[in-house]
Amino acid sequence: MRKNWLRDYIIKRLFYVVIIAFGVLLVTFTLVRIGPSIGATHPADKYLASMAAQGQDVSQAIAAIEARYGLDKPLYEQFINYAGNLARGDWGWSLSTSMPVIELIKTHWIYSAQLIILSSIFAAGAGILIGILSAVRQYSKTDYIATFFSFVGISIPNFWLGVMLILLFSVQLGVFRTYYDTGIPVFSLANLRQLILPVITLGTGMTAGYTRYTRSAMLDNLRKDFVRTARAKGLPERTVIGKHVFRNAVLPLVTIIMFDLGAIVFGGAYLTEIIFGIPGLGQISFNAIFADDYAVVVTVVLISAFLVLLINLVTDVTYTYLDPRIKYD
Amino acid sequence: MDETILKVNDLETHFLTARGIVKAVDGIDFELRKSECLCLVGESGCGKTVAMLSILGLIDTPPGKIVGGQVYYEDVNLVECSGKQMRHIRGKEIAMVFQDAQSALDPVFTIGDQITEQIKLHLGVSNPEAKERAISLLQEVGIPSPETATANYPHQLSGGMKQRAMIAMGLSCDPRVLIADEPTTAVDVTIKAQILDILQRLKETRQMSLLFVTHELGIVSEIGDRMLVMYAGRLTETGQVSEILDHPRHPYTIGLINCLPDMTKTRDRLESIPGTVPSLIDPPDGCLFYPRCSRALAVCSQNRPLPVTVNQGHTVFCHLYSQ
Amino acid sequence: MTERHNGSSLARYYWERARKNRLAVAGLVFIIFLILMGLIGPFFTANPTAVNFEEKNRPPVGFAIEESVYDFETQQLVTKTIIGTAKHPLGTDNKGRDLLAMIVSGTRVSLMVGLFATGIAVALGTLIGVTSAYFGGLVDHVVMRFTDIMMTFPFFLIFVLIIFIFGPSLLIIVVVIGLTGWTGTARLIRSETLSLRTREFIMAAKALGASDKRIILTHLVPNVVSLIIVIATLSIPGVILAEAALSFIGLGDPLVTSWGMVLRAGQQNLGTAWWVAIAPGIMLFFTVLAFNFMGDGLRDAFDPRSAV
Repeated sequence: MRKNWLRDYIIKRLFYVVIIAFGVLLVTFTLVRIGPSIGATHPADKYLASMAAQGQDVSQAIAAIEARYGLDKPLYEQFINYAGNLARGDWGWSLSTSMPVIELIKTHWIYSAQLIILSSIFAAGAGILIGILSAVRQYSKTDYIATFFSFVGISIPNFWLGVMLILLFSVQLGVFRTYYDTGIPVFSLANLRQLILPVITLGTGMTAGYTRYTRSAMLDNLRKDFVRTARAKGLPERTVIGKHVFRNAVLPLVTIIMFDLGAIVFGGAYLTEIIFGIPGLGQISFNAIFADDYAVVVTVVLISAFLVLLINLVTDVTYTYLDPRIKYD
Repeated sequence: MDETILKVNDLETHFLTARGIVKAVDGIDFELRKSECLCLVGESGCGKTVAMLSILGLIDTPPGKIVGGQVYYEDVNLVECSGKQMRHIRGKEIAMVFQDAQSALDPVFTIGDQITEQIKLHLGVSNPEAKERAISLLQEVGIPSPETATANYPHQLSGGMKQRAMIAMGLSCDPRVLIADEPTTAVDVTIKAQILDILQRLKETRQMSLLFVTHELGIVSEIGDRMLVMYAGRLTETGQVSEILDHPRHPYTIGLINCLPDMTKTRDRLESIPGTVPSLIDPPDGCLFYPRCSRALAVCSQNRPLPVTVNQGHTVFCHLYSQ
Repeated sequence: MTERHNGSSLARYYWERARKNRLAVAGLVFIIFLILMGLIGPFFTANPTAVNFEEKNRPPVGFAIEESVYDFETQQLVTKTIIGTAKHPLGTDNKGRDLLAMIVSGTRVSLMVGLFATGIAVALGTLIGVTSAYFGGLVDHVVMRFTDIMMTFPFFLIFVLIIFIFGPSLLIIVVVIGLTGWTGTARLIRSETLSLRTREFIMAAKALGASDKRIILTHLVPNVVSLIIVIATLSIPGVILAEAALSFIGLGDPLVTSWGMVLRAGQQNLGTAWWVAIAPGIMLFFTVLAFNFMGDGLRDAFDPRSAV
């Protein structure tokens, strides 16, 4: 019975996802199309500017460019074309690298993915463990140290941490290289080694956050009555904490972890890629900006937005599935 | 019937708080015999629940601590047992059922899970066997369609069902002692009667000893064999239920009985005992009921009353009877 | 029922509670120090943009570094030891700019960004949240969907995009951060307003005959105000970090010396002038810490359920 309801809920959520996705597309498109008309750089501005400087008539060139990019059609038609293209897999052409955007994405997404996934696993694992330990030994030395570190971790600007780590380990101690070598195969130990500093940079803030949330969720549940019942049944303490308390604490935790993942990690990953020279999607979109390569920038923004949407959906469904008390209406 | 299962000697449990040491249980003794129902009676805050938790070693150790006394179960002093030893006792030899079943049950696991978990732990049986036992237990406590019930979560059951499920959980490993902490307080009157019935029946069919904590004398008279009256962490009167209810000696017990509205008489006001329960931090010398006692003597404010046997099995802690 | 305090006694009550949290007070002290530094510091320090290649890469006071300099007379590289002087207490960067002056200038920038961007975000968020909760129904639904859409965008990328389209000026940065940062506030204010609307003390007030306006002014607003203050205080660090991050990657206002910009210069000279990278980070760290402590302290002080 519950499974039917769960399925209906997922369908309803997917419907919302479609609506929101549409909204995301609309906003991005509007931003981009408005841009060139408010004096931002038009794809061929530089060229046009030099032509104008030479006293040539640019109006024909402008007309040709606009026709080429479909800029002369009414806005809604442009939007429909745009959305249609996206659906068909035509994500535009990257002017700066002279290849279809989709090719660019294909070669570079793995670098972002490895960074984000590794950091998340590291952060979630460390954060949850420390959080549980901290809660179970509340007010002990372990707890104070953990709480102190989590405060520090949240407050350190992660881009500064990256620079400091490079300063310490690469410049002063020479343990790691200061740049990322793409020659090393992705699925190798050497690659893992050179990802250590970036993962620490991205993961520290996340770990600190997870530690705090886990600790508070565990504390909330540790003083509940069912814990006393579990002990009265003769269960060993590790079962009481690990099974009963944790399972109850996990509910709000899941939401927070996934939400963090969606919203905040991407910004941090972006910076981390730039600092360490990891050629992921953040890095290439950054370069694209300075190269006036709109197509790449817009595509990366859209990909991120859709990923966030997906993660939110998975979070909501997971949360609903985990808590038997919930029945959304 | 005379075999002593549990013997509590001079149990003292204190709590260390910012405002001082709270003497929640200040020296109580009693015995629990086989197949008997011993009722622990008293107002909220008199220490009955703390005493029960102390028996099972479930007091949160900062800030609480058992500071004195012994709890003998089968010649073993539970107070001195290690955590590991206690885990063999809890849920298996001595089980406890709590007051508010909604909060005492884990909301994210099914009833079936929570019962079989205990069965598998103590009896080491397989999953299907544990499940079968759970179903028959639920049937025993009067839950209709027990198979469906095992797949339900606590919030899907009514108050009475939850309480029965808790009792089933307590019984799951055939304990010799079942401690029930006000199991009928959070439940409707009609359900109350059913639960008392179930407990009564179980006591007889399983030859189990029942330690029943309550503040309602009505329940005591229905289900109890012997009773203990507690006040502010100490005992005031102990003995057979019929004897005490017919011939109460301690002024507090008399007061409690008088508080019960009598259906046969017409009255303008309900009676109550004047005053309030004293603070358990740094209690004064003498009898703690002294400030509220209408028959207090001078010695009552100086010396703590010692137990006096006034009749067979009937003991009072009051200076009025120590002649 | 809630007790009736008049405005000043209520403020004093909260102040007493907040005071007991030592970390929060320490945070407040640091923030006051920052404000003072931002206000009067520039009068005492050198010009942060003054370039002076004669004095480039000076270490801070008390530190010494070795530098290889080409000596024209002897025609070879000579190592000289350069010691930091009080003229440049924190040292200089590779263009001879005084680090202390740059830090002080950055303080101003960060505080202003923090103040205005947060102001915009919180004001907008409160307006949207209260309106949505007040009107309820379809309006609420539509507004919340729009909020969902806004929250879906990875903020940083949007900052970058917009700044690139419209140009990197401090004004744009502040406005963009403000215009994208309201979603969290809106959600929180909305849910608080919704829950307040149905709380028993409101119903009691209505039952006693209070008018809508009175209810809003004397019951709803004070309860929401404390939430707004907490949200604002806890939002400031994020805003300051966002601006710093943007400056760090080169999208900050080039006319303004901010901490992020200093950090960027430091990163590019990590080998020769490591002190340049450390100073702004430390300032950012302590500033964020201070606001977090203060925000936490305020939140605890305002929560009637926590015993202080």
